[in-house]
Amino acid sequence: MKKKVLSLMLVAAMTATLFAGCGNKDEGTTNNTPDTQAPAAEDSQAGGDTAEDPIANLIAATEGTVALDLWCSETPAYQEVMAQIVENFKQTYSEVDFDITIGAQSEAECKDRVLEDVTAAADVYVFADDQVTELVNAGALQPVEATYTYNPSETNSAGAVDAASVDGKLYAYPLTASNGYFLFYDSTVFSEEDVQSWDALLAKANEAGVQVGMEMSGAWYLYGMFSGAGCTLSMNEDQSNSCDWNNETGVAVAEACAKIAADPAFINITDTDFSAKLAEGDCNIKAYVDGTWRSGDIQAAYGDGYAATKLPTFTVNGAQVQQGSYAGYKLVGVNAYSENVGWSMLLAEFISNEASQLAIFEATGEGPANTVAGSSEEVMASPAIAALVAQSPYADPQRVGGKYWDPAATLGKNLAEGTVTDYQAALDEAVAGITAPAE
Amino acid sequence: MKNFLNGIKNYFKEFGTAVAKGDFWTKSSLLVMGMGYFGRGQIIKGILMTLIEIGVILFTALFSVPYLAKFGTLGTVQREEVFDAATMTKTVNDYDNSLLILLFSVVGMLVLVAFVLLYLNNIKKVYELQVLKEKGKHINSFVEDVKSLFNGNFHITLLTLPSIGILVFTVVPLIFMICVAFTNYDQNHQPPTYLFTWVGLKNFKNLFTNSMTVSFGYAFVRILAWTLIWAVLATFTTYIGGILLAKFINNERTKCKKLWRTLFVVTIAIPQFVTLLLINKMFSDNGIINGLANQWGIVDALKEAGIIAQGQNGIPFLSQPGWAHVMIVLINIWVGVPYQMLIATGILMNIPNDQLESAKIDGATEFQIFWKITMPYMLFITGPSLITSIVSNINNFNVIYLLTNGYTTPNPTMANSQAKEIDLLVTWLFTLTNDYSNFKMASVIGIFVFIVCAGITLIGFTNLIKGDREEEFQ
Repeated sequence: MKKKVLSLMLVAAMTATLFAGCGNKDEGTTNNTPDTQAPAAEDSQAGGDTAEDPIANLIAATEGTVALDLWCSETPAYQEVMAQIVENFKQTYSEVDFDITIGAQSEAECKDRVLEDVTAAADVYVFADDQVTELVNAGALQPVEATYTYNPSETNSAGAVDAASVDGKLYAYPLTASNGYFLFYDSTVFSEEDVQSWDALLAKANEAGVQVGMEMSGAWYLYGMFSGAGCTLSMNEDQSNSCDWNNETGVAVAEACAKIAADPAFINITDTDFSAKLAEGDCNIKAYVDGTWRSGDIQAAYGDGYAATKLPTFTVNGAQVQQGSYAGYKLVGVNAYSENVGWSMLLAEFISNEASQLAIFEATGEGPANTVAGSSEEVMASPAIAALVAQSPYADPQRVGGKYWDPAATLGKNLAEGTVTDYQAALDEAVAGITAPAE
Repeated sequence: MKNFLNGIKNYFKEFGTAVAKGDFWTKSSLLVMGMGYFGRGQIIKGILMTLIEIGVILFTALFSVPYLAKFGTLGTVQREEVFDAATMTKTVNDYDNSLLILLFSVVGMLVLVAFVLLYLNNIKKVYELQVLKEKGKHINSFVEDVKSLFNGNFHITLLTLPSIGILVFTVVPLIFMICVAFTNYDQNHQPPTYLFTWVGLKNFKNLFTNSMTVSFGYAFVRILAWTLIWAVLATFTTYIGGILLAKFINNERTKCKKLWRTLFVVTIAIPQFVTLLLINKMFSDNGIINGLANQWGIVDALKEAGIIAQGQNGIPFLSQPGWAHVMIVLINIWVGVPYQMLIATGILMNIPNDQLESAKIDGATEFQIFWKITMPYMLFITGPSLITSIVSNINNFNVIYLLTNGYTTPNPTMANSQAKEIDLLVTWLFTLTNDYSNFKMASVIGIFVFIVCAGITLIGFTNLIKGDREEEFQ
């Protein structure tokens, strides 16, 4: 805490000196409004008469170098393609001098860094869609109230737009649509029939002496088991959750999970551990529930047998049920505290337009959210993307309050390890934690 | 306590006399702080004092008062922005930032408190000057005053910087943190966009509440207990381990002493967090150790014996309570012993030889010598550092956090308050702030960490290290 407070203090101290500096020039120190609007508003009057086009206005109103910070994934592929896109952006608006810094910040943890100090965070940042509510809740996202070069709500898939909106209002620009999960498998071991259901999959795995993996102890993956069987989990307005996993169906699902986990061929293993095993070279796991970010590693390991498909069905109360999943998107957000809101919005639009989404797909293998780019031949040729599309009818956007993760992870862990004896009680307790008031 | 109260009484009494008996210059110092000095010819000092007074008044009026005025509510105007699509710019209202209001109010109040103390002292000082003048004694010139700071009053010069440092970097954040514990600063009330406000003792009540949904009380008691057990275990295992290791290396029958010592010191040369991350990977459920254990059938044997659950991929070294607790203490021994060994080696070499020899002549065994001479001596010398290491182990974030990255608690009640069995109070606090932005509960926990640490330090220093024990070792 001390460290946290200390950094806060430092930031505050720096802000204080900043304000003190401003205060001397124009009278009074009470004003702590960021000075975004003042110069731009003045200048726009000069340019406002000449053109109706907002972009032309903005260019006319811009003086000096525009400094923008952009945060995106730390992987080399992402960094390179982003550098290229930023170059294109500069060329498109060659009338203006830009100083765009690309920072490395994993999308998964973007929220944590942004919320540390919104005013110091990047102007434009790429983040995973599960963080959208918390970012909106902290006022860190500039709503997409107007668009200039294209309309993200129309060009992107409905799911992606939904994931970027809160209460029907669009807060970010969809970038990729492949952050969901599905099944990778080695087709030299499993046939297409085998991967249709967990029963067949596990039976074949036992026969072949290989393993099938999934991170059942991860709350993110566990959701698919319950959602597939028709149990619901949703977020309320105050960020608490509604959850009915402790009903009869939920109990049956929990039992089914425990049964799958108890199979000798099943291994409960995290994505990181799985990738470490792949890297070691003698990985015995020949089918695994994972997402596109791991497709390169898996392709390298499975070689010609590399294949992917939608998630299997599993048996609940004697009937086959399709396993659900979370659909995941990467979104481009504009910091509400950006000093150059206009240019930040244009940069975000540029990064997330059709051409850029295709470039990102080519560089990273992540499927575009744009419907035209998404249905292009080269994208559909990727087995991982095809699997994702096949899974998409059963995938839900990730709308869940923060209280979900820990109790659900504990439930998953206990199911995976087979330590649950009273399923109803375990689910009751988990649901109590998941639905706890957000205070 | 009585002395303290008397001190305060005298302090104000002196101030009263100064005001009552002061002449024109002294009394006018009540208004303009430098007047008393001007009247006695100390012009520069007078100017400095007056400048300080003006500075504080300006600072308070222009900077602090706007914040202090909102201290009661922590702000009422929420940020609102209007985006103009045509010009692509936006206008923002003049909103309140609860965080800055709280922070600068604290700073403003501290400045005022410091100023009041300075003001009271100033009157007394000025009155002293008046008395000196009346008695016809020498009054220091400014140059003489400055010189005295390097001479008779050198302690003031030396202590100024550290005191300012403690005030700015410890006292202000501490007061700030304590204040946050009484607010609703959490994920739904995050400045600068949203406001937070005072909620009284609600958070403290939460910490001791134990219901199905709010299980902070349940988690707090368990985490506090483990924190204390951990601090004691971690401190004493490495302490005793270090002494024993130093003894073994120092033993006359040990060959190549320098080689052994160097080998253990090399482990210090590797950054602790690298070691910890590596060990975390090695002992993870799918790590190298478990890979071997699986190959050799140890895991299956343990499963059959019912020691580990059927669904486990390996031995849950760092993923189940109990196992993880033991492993953390063991790994900490490995990481911490070399440091203690270095310290112990130095001290062991300094044990007065005559004591050891006379003990030998009297026929004491090695063990008796160790227990009756070496250990008391060690304890005496290292007492203060033992207490500080207990305190630092209470806050030993690195070891716990790096080793148990990815630990999921199997206990739903713990999970409901985002806690884990192996959490220390600090790591829990970290999770709450970093992952859940729950600053208010983190502050409450922080206060308890502070109380525990301060308590242990006070009790330890007053009881363990009494000044009169020095003779015992002469």
